[in-house]
Amino acid sequence: MSKIDEVRDYELFIGPNHPGIEGNFSLKLKLLGDKIVGAKTDAGYLHRGFEKLMEERLFIQNIAIVCRICVPDPDPNENNYSRAIEEIAGIEVPERAKWIRTLVLELSRLASHLFAIGGHAATTGLYAFPNWTIADRDRILELFEELTGGRVYHIYQLPGGVRRDFPDGFEGRVLDVMDYIESRLQDYDDLAINNALFIKRATGIGVLTKEQAVSWGVTGPNLRACGVAADVRKDDPYEIYEKLEFDIPTMTDGDAYARMIVRRKEIEQSISIVRQIIDKIPSGLVWNKIPNPLKWNVAAGDAYVRTESSKGEYAYYMVSDGGRKPYRVHVRGASTTHAVHVLENLLVGTRIEDASQVMFSLDGCPPAVDR
Amino acid sequence: MEYELENSIIDKMQPEFPEAAFTIKKARRVEVKMSSDKLYNFAVRMQKKWNFLHLSAISCVDWLQDNEFELIYHFWNYDEKVLVMAKIRIPREEESHFETISNLWQPAKFFERDIHEMFGVYFDGSEDMERFILTEWHGPPPMRKDFITREYALNFFHYREYDPEWLKDMTAAGEANE
Repeated sequence: MSKIDEVRDYELFIGPNHPGIEGNFSLKLKLLGDKIVGAKTDAGYLHRGFEKLMEERLFIQNIAIVCRICVPDPDPNENNYSRAIEEIAGIEVPERAKWIRTLVLELSRLASHLFAIGGHAATTGLYAFPNWTIADRDRILELFEELTGGRVYHIYQLPGGVRRDFPDGFEGRVLDVMDYIESRLQDYDDLAINNALFIKRATGIGVLTKEQAVSWGVTGPNLRACGVAADVRKDDPYEIYEKLEFDIPTMTDGDAYARMIVRRKEIEQSISIVRQIIDKIPSGLVWNKIPNPLKWNVAAGDAYVRTESSKGEYAYYMVSDGGRKPYRVHVRGASTTHAVHVLENLLVGTRIEDASQVMFSLDGCPPAVDR
Repeated sequence: MEYELENSIIDKMQPEFPEAAFTIKKARRVEVKMSSDKLYNFAVRMQKKWNFLHLSAISCVDWLQDNEFELIYHFWNYDEKVLVMAKIRIPREEESHFETISNLWQPAKFFERDIHEMFGVYFDGSEDMERFILTEWHGPPPMRKDFITREYALNFFHYREYDPEWLKDMTAAGEANE
């Protein structure tokens, strides 16, 4: 046997710095020719020890930490964290604050989806598309900057409400941005989603069946792309989602293309939700006074709160022992399933050029895996 | 009747686990405390009989004063739209052991691996208990309450004198605050 025959399969490391990898994350692939026969994810490059850090900080201080757990979609973290404290301490939130929170969550979903569909198309070689979506996402970040002072990390939702009310004329500017993004959707379809090249590359890649998706703990758009109409906003409503009308787009194919279509349709739904909020938002207070946060002993108790983030189910388990600091905060990011076991399973059998596409189509978030 | 759905869930489960203590925390949240040896059977019934197909998370809490770890399994039912939190306590040891449920739910693999890494609870029967995030960590499991970050850092790392030439000049000129 010659030397070349002995070397049949080989290992290839992709990441942690690689244009085809989301964030600082790495994949160890085992290849046979250009076919992937085994995959292992390697995380930890973004581990900041937030769960431990939160136990050492006052309840109020952690709001500046939680948003950093998921960079592209930070608001579900703030919302979960604030709602967990509210549930444990029994704090009421003013009606208007709930509407504003929902608005912020939906804007965040829009920004994150624009990022995700752009990144996904780029992995098939359509490099113009992410430039468009990221430029359009920037208009949403400008809205965030105006409302909260921060573009990426907002530190806006507090126990008891939100930090400040809308600036003058903000509603009009939100509607303008929504009109603009809606006008761009046709361009997105023409450039990427209905593009023959993209359809050919994305169809049949990373196929998840309905049964697999449920038993592997897949949630969010990835689950809905397999034909399961599950959404935390409908199933376990929080804030004011019960009062809004929106659909849950689903597809049945369960492949990368179906996941793209679900995200594309969710953008339309989010635009409609934002318009409904601007239309119906009641007036009133945006924050109920809470006890002095520096000397605030939150009652003992625990709470499990869930949010539908753009990536799937996002949950926090918080325990308070009656002290000034949380006793334990467990963050269940949506990507703890998507970017680890689901990704490892889906990569097997695909070819090396589709590894990035599978990862981006699942929309994993490495900072949420590492915490 | 208030909490009709939650009560019907409890009525279904209570006869099979008479010793378990069920409470309704709020709408769509049911809590159940049981002894640790019942958990595996409970998990099997949750999945196969009561249709709780989604394991949302497994959380671990270190109760240092009681010398116990609390494991909380969060199960979600897609049809009935209820979350059941099964809480158990296991003894807190140098390396605690508990049985895995990763043969029932694949997501349990990640959560158990994470708990092993952060709390030092070994899950017997799990395929993969390798380190995931802290691959180059040699200290004790860091999420345990008796691991004090600052103390560990002071013992493990050393302060080094830092007195470069350029700073001396600035200090002498009164431009840098000591």
